[in-house]
Amino acid sequence: MKILIVEDETGLRDSIEAYFTGGDSICETASDFTSALAKVSVYRYDCIILDLTLPHGNGLNIVKHLKENNHNDGVLIISAKDSLDDRLMGLDLGADDYLTKPFHLSELKSRVTAIVRRRSFNGSNNLKFNEIEIDLDAKAVKVKDIIVKFTRKEYSLLLYFIANKGKVVSKSAIAEHLWGDSIDIADNFDFIYSHIKNIRKKLVEAGGNDYIQAAYGMGYKFTDA
Amino acid sequence: MKLFDKYNRVNIAVTVIIMLVTGIIYYYTISHILTSQIDKDLVLEENEIFSYVNKNHRLPDVYESNHQQIVFAPLGNKSAERRFLDTTYHDSDEKDLEAGRALISSVKISGHNYRILVTQSKVETEDLIQIIFLITIGVIVSLLVILIVLNRVILKSIWKPFYKVLFQLKEFSLASHATINSTPSNIDEFTELDQAVISMAYRVKSDYQNLKAFTENASHELMTPISVINSKLDTLVQTDEFTDRQSKLLNDIYGTVTRLTRLNKSMLLLAKIENGLIQDNQDVDIKDVLEECLYQHEEMIYQLNIKLVTDLRDKHLQANKSLVEILLNNLLSNAIRHNHQDGKLSIYLDSEKLTISNTGEGNFNFQQVLKRFHKSDGSEGIGLGLTLCKQICDNYGFKFGYVQHGKMHAFNVTF
Repeated sequence: MKILIVEDETGLRDSIEAYFTGGDSICETASDFTSALAKVSVYRYDCIILDLTLPHGNGLNIVKHLKENNHNDGVLIISAKDSLDDRLMGLDLGADDYLTKPFHLSELKSRVTAIVRRRSFNGSNNLKFNEIEIDLDAKAVKVKDIIVKFTRKEYSLLLYFIANKGKVVSKSAIAEHLWGDSIDIADNFDFIYSHIKNIRKKLVEAGGNDYIQAAYGMGYKFTDA
Repeated sequence: MKLFDKYNRVNIAVTVIIMLVTGIIYYYTISHILTSQIDKDLVLEENEIFSYVNKNHRLPDVYESNHQQIVFAPLGNKSAERRFLDTTYHDSDEKDLEAGRALISSVKISGHNYRILVTQSKVETEDLIQIIFLITIGVIVSLLVILIVLNRVILKSIWKPFYKVLFQLKEFSLASHATINSTPSNIDEFTELDQAVISMAYRVKSDYQNLKAFTENASHELMTPISVINSKLDTLVQTDEFTDRQSKLLNDIYGTVTRLTRLNKSMLLLAKIENGLIQDNQDVDIKDVLEECLYQHEEMIYQLNIKLVTDLRDKHLQANKSLVEILLNNLLSNAIRHNHQDGKLSIYLDSEKLTISNTGEGNFNFQQVLKRFHKSDGSEGIGLGLTLCKQICDNYGFKFGYVQHGKMHAFNVTF
């Protein structure tokens, strides 16, 4: 997938670029409003990761520009402002999602993947990873055509891992993804392990492979390597 | 003591004393004038006697006129000293004694000395003085009454602007949006006071606004560097193999950054609520949100083997959904975190009230825990949880309360 990262903070832009590059993804970057506008006027992207507060202009105007020109690139707004006004305006203008800074790169990746998947909708909204097949509409998981029952949190975690396959996902990121940021995350570290244990067990019992590796006590990595 | 009571007291005391002193002086002056008037009459009478004696060389016939008596008495060789004296006057008509004034004098007729005693009744003088005295007293009393009433009425109306300013000062609150209104007055001091109070209130408010804006901006600006650290950490863990020691360090950094983020978000949220920046109200199904919160906490409840009792009725509110989520999550987190193994957790929700009660050791001061950054011993939170709850409740006019029954701690929100 082709992604444009519009972010003026160099450190953050580089990190996002490094995280997204590789696999089947190509990344381009823009550090201010003008260059971002120039890029979206010429090229099409599967998803644009867009910061709102940019030098020389407001990111919302880029969303407006896309809509006025009937470009349906996916747009994910990332902003330090957690204001509902901005969120609603962004989504009203046609953005697909809104993520408040600070965020984990894995969360960003999972949101971007979801946007791209929704946009490349081709008849069936199914996600396949080797022998695992997920019906995103019915939220049903099949392993080798056998339906495996997952709890809500396990299902969400499995999708999260697949979106971040090959990457080490930290426990903090997992906890924040599963429990949200209004709950003290440190309380939940112990429960991550039991959820992962359950996912592994269910996948293996259905005849699938164990793709989840523990990563040096820091987090987990979903990989078929 | 109120100002005008104090003022009245001094004023009236001084007025009464001055009036009394004036009255006394008045009395003596008039008394003196009238007495000397009588004395003149007496001298006139004496002169008449002298002229009669000179002419006729005998004592005149004594006749008694109204209010005047003349008595002659032979003195022999002695002579009488001429003097005035206060005496009594015996009224032959009315048969009673009246105050009188007398002149004793002497006259020599053909070698014999006679004492002359001319007495005049002072009853009319006394009457006059009495009337004057009564009038004076009357004037004093009516003056006092008028003074008291006038002072009360005038002072009350004069001080009205002062009390209005005072009332506004009492009602003044930094958090409220009400401003202090100008209180017009034609008294310079009060106008000055009013202007001083208004400008003070304005300054205090604007300082407070600046402070709040600073908190908000500072928290905001911090978000960007925190997100850079966060993303760099996420990138770092992708790079290589790590030793146990390194991964322990990385875990600690992750934990700290998460804490920092939470702290910062809470501060930002507090500042936003205080600044009234959170509006976007929508219809929130409390029961729904509560069930979602319970789902989020299910692992902890399960792990501590907490007995959960719920009785949830339908309750809808007009509020910001994320604030309600934060409120309920915080309350629930506390109720679980301060619970013990095999403890109890009951949640009751009806249209008026939400009560979350849990078993837990120890006591605490409710007012104390509402303060910012207050942490109980062994608490892992950031010390803003209950402050946020209180602030959110205040924002929507809910009453946030706490009751303790033995080991059961119950937090309640009255809608």
